[in-house]
Amino acid sequence: MTSPDVPSTVGPRNEFSLAGVSRAPVSGLESFTYDDGIVRSFMLATFVWGLVGMLVGLLIALQLAVPTLSVAPYLTFGRLRPLHTNAVIFAFAGNAFFTGCYYSTQRLCKARMFSDWLSKFHFWGWQAIIVSAAITLPLGFTQAKEYAELEWPIDIAIAVVWVVFAINFFGTLAKRRERHLYVALWFYIASIVTVAILHIFNNLSLPVGPFKSYSIYAGVQDAFMQWWYGHNAVAFFLTTPFLGLMYYFMPKAAERPVYSYKLSILHFWSLVFMYIWAGPHHLHYTALPEWASTLGMIFSVMLWMPSWGGMINGLLTLRGAWHKVVEEPVLKFFVVAVTAYGMATFEGPMLSIKSVNALAHYTDWIIAHVHTGALGWNGFLTFGMIYWLMPRLFQTKLYSKKLAELHFWVASFGILLYVVAIYSAGVTQGLMWRAFDTTGRLAYPDFIETVLKLMPMYWMRAVGGSLYIVGMFLLGWNMLMTWRSRPAVYEEQTFQAAPLEGRVVVAEHGEKVPQGVLQTFVVLAWHRAWERRWLFFTVMTTLAVIVASLFEILPTFLIRSNVPTIASVKPYTPLELAGRDYYIREGCFNCHSQMIRPFRHETERYGEYSKPGEFVYDHPFLWGSRRIGPDLAREGGKYPDLWHVRHLADPRSITARSIMPAYPHLLTDNIDFDAIQKHVDGMAMLGVPYGDAVRAGNASRMAREQAKQIAVGIVQQGGPAGLETKEIVALTAYLQRLGHDIKQIAPPAQSAAGGRP
Amino acid sequence: MKSIADVVGASGLAGYAEVALLLFFLVFVVVGVRALTTDRAFIDRAANLPLEDESPQSPLSSSTRDHGRGE
Repeated sequence: MTSPDVPSTVGPRNEFSLAGVSRAPVSGLESFTYDDGIVRSFMLATFVWGLVGMLVGLLIALQLAVPTLSVAPYLTFGRLRPLHTNAVIFAFAGNAFFTGCYYSTQRLCKARMFSDWLSKFHFWGWQAIIVSAAITLPLGFTQAKEYAELEWPIDIAIAVVWVVFAINFFGTLAKRRERHLYVALWFYIASIVTVAILHIFNNLSLPVGPFKSYSIYAGVQDAFMQWWYGHNAVAFFLTTPFLGLMYYFMPKAAERPVYSYKLSILHFWSLVFMYIWAGPHHLHYTALPEWASTLGMIFSVMLWMPSWGGMINGLLTLRGAWHKVVEEPVLKFFVVAVTAYGMATFEGPMLSIKSVNALAHYTDWIIAHVHTGALGWNGFLTFGMIYWLMPRLFQTKLYSKKLAELHFWVASFGILLYVVAIYSAGVTQGLMWRAFDTTGRLAYPDFIETVLKLMPMYWMRAVGGSLYIVGMFLLGWNMLMTWRSRPAVYEEQTFQAAPLEGRVVVAEHGEKVPQGVLQTFVVLAWHRAWERRWLFFTVMTTLAVIVASLFEILPTFLIRSNVPTIASVKPYTPLELAGRDYYIREGCFNCHSQMIRPFRHETERYGEYSKPGEFVYDHPFLWGSRRIGPDLAREGGKYPDLWHVRHLADPRSITARSIMPAYPHLLTDNIDFDAIQKHVDGMAMLGVPYGDAVRAGNASRMAREQAKQIAVGIVQQGGPAGLETKEIVALTAYLQRLGHDIKQIAPPAQSAAGGRP
Repeated sequence: MKSIADVVGASGLAGYAEVALLLFFLVFVVVGVRALTTDRAFIDRAANLPLEDESPQSPLSSSTRDHGRGE
């Protein structure tokens, strides 16, 4: 590592004037340079992974319209959908955040990053994690938790790299030469701290193999934990980091300070304090207690205000500069980004209102909502930032402003097509699910009817997404050509600033020097100590997040001892557990929910609504969040085993226009009976009462016996022979078990345990 | 069987929601008062920070710190 900080004295050129205040020459300045190389690396990674993630997104969008594009086993929708979400969230948006964070933090702190080596470690570590995700997800290694699919070895790597990033970032704050921490840095601090907390607690799991683990939480608790994480991953990975970027790059591009710095203070604390509470809105009408659900809804609605405070602050930063928007693509991108943020943060609170949620949940409406945020807010803010950075980082002119303009218009049109199509799809399907005819029966009893109705919209979405990707290629071309006209050697500018003098609080530029001890305290110590002392500030931010988290999570742990157990609910048999693992591996939960809400249209369609006690052995929970196919919570016993064999081998042999992928490999791949013992033992360690099955070899033997029985039954029904060692038997066993136990409930007197008759 | 709402309802956590709202309200008031009473000059300087880092060799904010060092 080089030592960029060279103390020096400076001559007369440091006589300068700012805001009408002349200063005498100063001494004791330190010279330093910024590390822009790392910013260039992150910027390139942003583009590359963005393109990859979006192309995968296009592929899975097409797989819904043309199901034969789902090529088993590695390239099915169920395995690629997590790859798309992880790539665009952690690879595209993640690298974009790091790009802007490394650029702005150094400048706002008037200091080079704490350690060039740590910067490099962060960069390469993060890219390695992305590559490992891109390999393991198609292979079917997944924890089955949305946006937390990556298995435990990768989770550990993420934690390590994140800590390295944190050390590098906070180390830079510690050696900064600007006393005040600008508001962008607050947002970075909140993001770094909270993502660490979220990541660790949601991923606590018991490894049972090199790439296989079971969540330590089960059922309701697991769902609470996951959506505490899921909601706040959106908050602290896609919102607060990008708000930080907005607060830095928007003023830069508009060449004027943010509209109201006071509003930004209010924005920050309200947002950080409120976001965490809102998670329960992802679980309306599930096993959530009423008051927790309502609390989540109220905080979500309140969240609208600070969000719009931030949006207004961003847009009004352009006061008196709107004419620049006409000729500056950077500002165009920013304006649409901030507007999309406003739309998404209006829609989010609206979707959290229970009655709206009842319609929107499990439909494409949520997908549309997410894409307004992802394509509009994260995407366009990133593009604006990259176009602004390119000439500065490559130290040359932008290759073509016209291409950037074209990118803006093509991508804007793409977003429009995408979200209009998918909003329509969501509302259409939601309304079809709940429609009754005049005789009081479901108007669309066949689920497939509600799917086929969406096909034109799925095609329109694919066109919109393609246009957005065309925009990415335009960006890539512009980046390549700008890079090619870079100087032979990048000039490294030297900056100078005085070091901070420890804890001595002195008056800042343009302020009155306070008189007397009391006034000094009031004006300086109280007003600004928080922003100045990064450690204290970080602790306060962490406290806000933890207090709110405890309020959300504590009931979960109270429920843990209180979930009404259902006597007839028993652990899965070893074979069913293996089938469940295949269900997870194939990503079935990406399209099928296992959570029937207490609505008449749902109980008519699927059967008795889901009870929390049914999930006590579900490590992890598999409630799902989207119904591309029907709910499976009561699937067991609906069809004979042979139906499942044929349906999984080729869904279109059963339902002519089904969009489900075919899984022929399940009929040829062998069950790993030895692994079953390890998996059962792992479950037993988590408290699942497996009794005799944990004795060595017993679980495998039990699985073989059950598999043989099922295979015999399949032959008797007229199906193929020789399936007793094949994966299809295990998966069928699992599917036939779903909803089975609760039907065994006899009179209420025996059914409910938990203290009361 | 009982619903989960009954169980949690019986566990005496109903006051939780009120405490949450109260906590939020207090934080909001404190932050609001703090933000509104912050010195104007300080706010202006803070807001201008991102615009100050463009030109090299200009130690903008450092100069003021020299109050304490007897310039």
